[in-house]
Amino acid sequence: MAEEFNTDSMLSMFLYESYQGLEKLEGIILEKQDADCFDDSDINDIFRIMHTIKGSSGVLMYENITKASHKLEDVFYYLRESHPEDVPHMELVEKVLAVSDFITGELDKIKAGNEPDGDEKKLVEDLDQFLGELKGEIKKQGIRLPKANKQEEPTQFYITPVAEEDSHFYRIVIHYKSDTQMSNIRAYSATYALKEVAEDLLYTPEDILSNESSGDSILAEGFHMLLQTKSSKDEVMELIDSSEAETIDFEEINKTEYGKALVEFGREAPPIVINLEDDKAAAKENKQAPITPGDYVVKSKETGKGKTLAKNQPKQQAVISVNVEKMDALMDMIGELVIAEATVLQNPDLKVPGLDLTNFQKAAAQLAKNTTELQDVIMSMRMMPLTNVFQKMRRIVFDVSRKLGKDIEFEAIGENTEVDKNIIEHISDPLMHLVRNSVDHGIEDSPEIRQANGKKAKGKITLEAKNEGGKVYISVKDDGKGLNKEKLYNKAMENGLIGDKLMSDFSEKDIFKFITLPGFSTKEEVTEYSGRGVGMDVVVKNIQSIGGRLDIDSVEGQGSEMTLVIPLTLAIISGIVIQVGEAPFVIEMASIKEFISVTEDALIQEPGGEEFLVLRGDCFPFIRLCEKYDLPGAKTKLEDGIVVVVEHEGKQICVLIDKILQEQEIVVKPIPSYVKKVKGLSGCTQLGDGSIALILDVGGLMIEEERR
Amino acid sequence: MKILLAEDDFASRKFMDKQLSQYGECDVMVDGEEAVDAFMMALDDGEPYDLACLDVMMPVMDGYQVLKAIRDIETQKGIPKSERVKVIMTTALNDERNVKMAFELGCEAYAGKPIDMEKFEKVLKKLELI
Amino acid sequence: MADELKEELLEEDASKGKFMTFQTGREFFGISISYVSEIIQMQPITAIPEAEDYIKGLINLRGKIIPVIDVRVRFKMDPVEYTDRTCIIVIDVKSTVIGLIVEKIAEVDDIMDEDVVPPPTLGGHRDNEKSKYVYGLARTGDTMKLLLDPEKLIKQEDLDILEELQGEEQA
Repeated sequence: MAEEFNTDSMLSMFLYESYQGLEKLEGIILEKQDADCFDDSDINDIFRIMHTIKGSSGVLMYENITKASHKLEDVFYYLRESHPEDVPHMELVEKVLAVSDFITGELDKIKAGNEPDGDEKKLVEDLDQFLGELKGEIKKQGIRLPKANKQEEPTQFYITPVAEEDSHFYRIVIHYKSDTQMSNIRAYSATYALKEVAEDLLYTPEDILSNESSGDSILAEGFHMLLQTKSSKDEVMELIDSSEAETIDFEEINKTEYGKALVEFGREAPPIVINLEDDKAAAKENKQAPITPGDYVVKSKETGKGKTLAKNQPKQQAVISVNVEKMDALMDMIGELVIAEATVLQNPDLKVPGLDLTNFQKAAAQLAKNTTELQDVIMSMRMMPLTNVFQKMRRIVFDVSRKLGKDIEFEAIGENTEVDKNIIEHISDPLMHLVRNSVDHGIEDSPEIRQANGKKAKGKITLEAKNEGGKVYISVKDDGKGLNKEKLYNKAMENGLIGDKLMSDFSEKDIFKFITLPGFSTKEEVTEYSGRGVGMDVVVKNIQSIGGRLDIDSVEGQGSEMTLVIPLTLAIISGIVIQVGEAPFVIEMASIKEFISVTEDALIQEPGGEEFLVLRGDCFPFIRLCEKYDLPGAKTKLEDGIVVVVEHEGKQICVLIDKILQEQEIVVKPIPSYVKKVKGLSGCTQLGDGSIALILDVGGLMIEEERR
Repeated sequence: MKILLAEDDFASRKFMDKQLSQYGECDVMVDGEEAVDAFMMALDDGEPYDLACLDVMMPVMDGYQVLKAIRDIETQKGIPKSERVKVIMTTALNDERNVKMAFELGCEAYAGKPIDMEKFEKVLKKLELI
Repeated sequence: MADELKEELLEEDASKGKFMTFQTGREFFGISISYVSEIIQMQPITAIPEAEDYIKGLINLRGKIIPVIDVRVRFKMDPVEYTDRTCIIVIDVKSTVIGLIVEKIAEVDDIMDEDVVPPPTLGGHRDNEKSKYVYGLARTGDTMKLLLDPEKLIKQEDLDILEELQGEEQA
């Protein structure tokens, strides 16, 4: 049940605020880790963050969090009031991080719907001791101790509702026999009986008792109920008097369906919170109307549900609530809509000669515009900055470098780069692995070695993200040892990964790629921070699973750079559908430079069989897709086909195809994992007529081409 | 302890009545106006309530109005803060704005429905009611 | 978790002992009906370049894209032309959905555990290829049926892929 998010909005607000606070806290700490001490504004910030967490956790009665944050607040209170000198900075940093880790751990438990049961005692004792030393120091320095940080027990509490995990949701429809007398009373008895076990119960018609005619509509349309309860189906059935009932439809539904059904029954679904700040229009609109007493007066005196409120909830909200699952469902539906749109607009029925489609085309253009905009909006809702991920990496560099006794500076560039939410989830672990590797294996073991090589004693790791041409590049760069080609080659050889090929058979990049092979690790000993059983092969696999790749670049003695290249979004790209032989393919629009038609004169054939095309004086590698993929029935003469010039990272190649079919927004679907990965193909998609086209991966094609 | 329970929903009312009765005598009201009346009456009789559990969505007056009325009456009668009735809001409307407003209006606790009775009891202890 | 539950239920319910049997060449095969999600007619197939010969390509199953394999080719038998009796059995093995192209569906048979004998270990290379995925033989009526283990069919696949991947990296 852990994946069921707790939807209590008070709780999510607490979690949100606390996570934010802790993140900010870590940011401050890690930024100042190398400084001699925190400055006044840092101390103030940390004090305030702890104060807030202490306060809100107190209201929610998470006592261990309250105690831990309280102690740390105390420490910073003394720092703030007395300005002592010679505070053991590193020790303080560790203490703060320890508290922050503890609270984060507890928050995670709460988020997962568990009890935060961590034991804070040891932590509090440690802090007490530290505080004791601090006070001693303060006295020694002749500063008067400020009066004790006065503590107020919270006087107001918030009781979080019990999780509704055990609840069942039922939709019940009772059809009474057509000659049933007083069906409304029977319906009422049913609701009355169910109230015994109901956590929530809604029914239509609502006015079963006060409105005489409701009996007729119950007979005609049946009596509809929506029930939330902990009881099982049988228990519920037992409660319903079925003597006059003709049929009782009993359906168990899930929570989401229940939410939807609530709307049908005239009640709004309970809200959750996401931020729509990006949406300028919404932000400009009225601020959230404040609620006032009297907003929740129930109009009807009836003791049932389906309450009508005196004043409806404010219509416009700057912050609205959306469940992540709903977002994903929406995304899927947009995907289906795009396919449906293509099915309509490219319908073969339209190809009847002599058909006047002027108006159709106009309408179609409007539709296309709207769906595109719709997609853009959804996409922007799913985009999130990499800030959090970067923050995490900063922490890892800090932790690992300290454990290994290395002195490392960390620089983050472009942390505001935005990527799709789904992608963020996928890159966090691989990135963590790369960063650990850089700290552990990349940077030299001691400053002496570095200085001997003419480098600064302090190592440096740079994490950089940028957004270019529909892709996101995230690189981890270190100025350490760099990769030693000979070592890599020997190691790969020893492990039997490359057969008996000579080193000269491989390009530099190929050799670097050895580290991504399963069963390869240049370090004998597996340290705590890298290695740990999984290697770079897992990183590569994870990245490939979201359509990305890993580039490795290194200069021995100067450092290495690992770059993750990932798509900006997974879902929808605009592409051109082409045909080779009988098979349709899709090429992503962003990578197409031009379509040209050329003659055989432009072709140069090398003795090795490689072909090149000369265009306007430049020479490009040339691929015949039909030969590469062995496609029957394709055009082989240049004059008959069309050449597409595609570009990827500044390199261009020419590809021979038969013809262009159409331009289309396509929904990228992965090729089922059962089928082995084909180089040069990144996925597949469904075309307007329901057939399947394969999506060409230009980058992959080039890598293939270079290898030849 | 004397308890005032205002709850219009039958099922919740039954449940709360049962739960609260273990701590003391529990008067049950079905709408906001009745709740205020009962509160006034108890005050006049010199036997004020120790605890009031108010639903938010109720007929005639909602829980916030009742809370506000209660606090206004207490202020007017010059009842010291420490002797005021302890108020726990009980509602499914647990989004942050509602909770904040309830706190601003001066309730002691806000319990989201379905109510976690274990925590509820904890709060009663903290409020020194039991 | 839901999947596990479903599987547990499936194992215990009436589908136990029921096998979908199909004919390909002169041989009959059986597959436990609990793995079969549906049977569909032959569909236009989009071939995947560079894939193994038995992977015929991808089909569009109501918006879900699934791979289809030719059972004959999988067992290294000579391929035959597809006819209008050719159909696709869609199986779901631990959430991996694939289609099996078979020459013709025979029927659903009840096969009890006691009717199943382990496959003979002797035999030529051809039989080896098959016996990797066959966990038992069952005689019903006058035909011998080879009972397939779909989990092995899928798993063996994964191993093949791994081997090939490694092979490629070495190349």
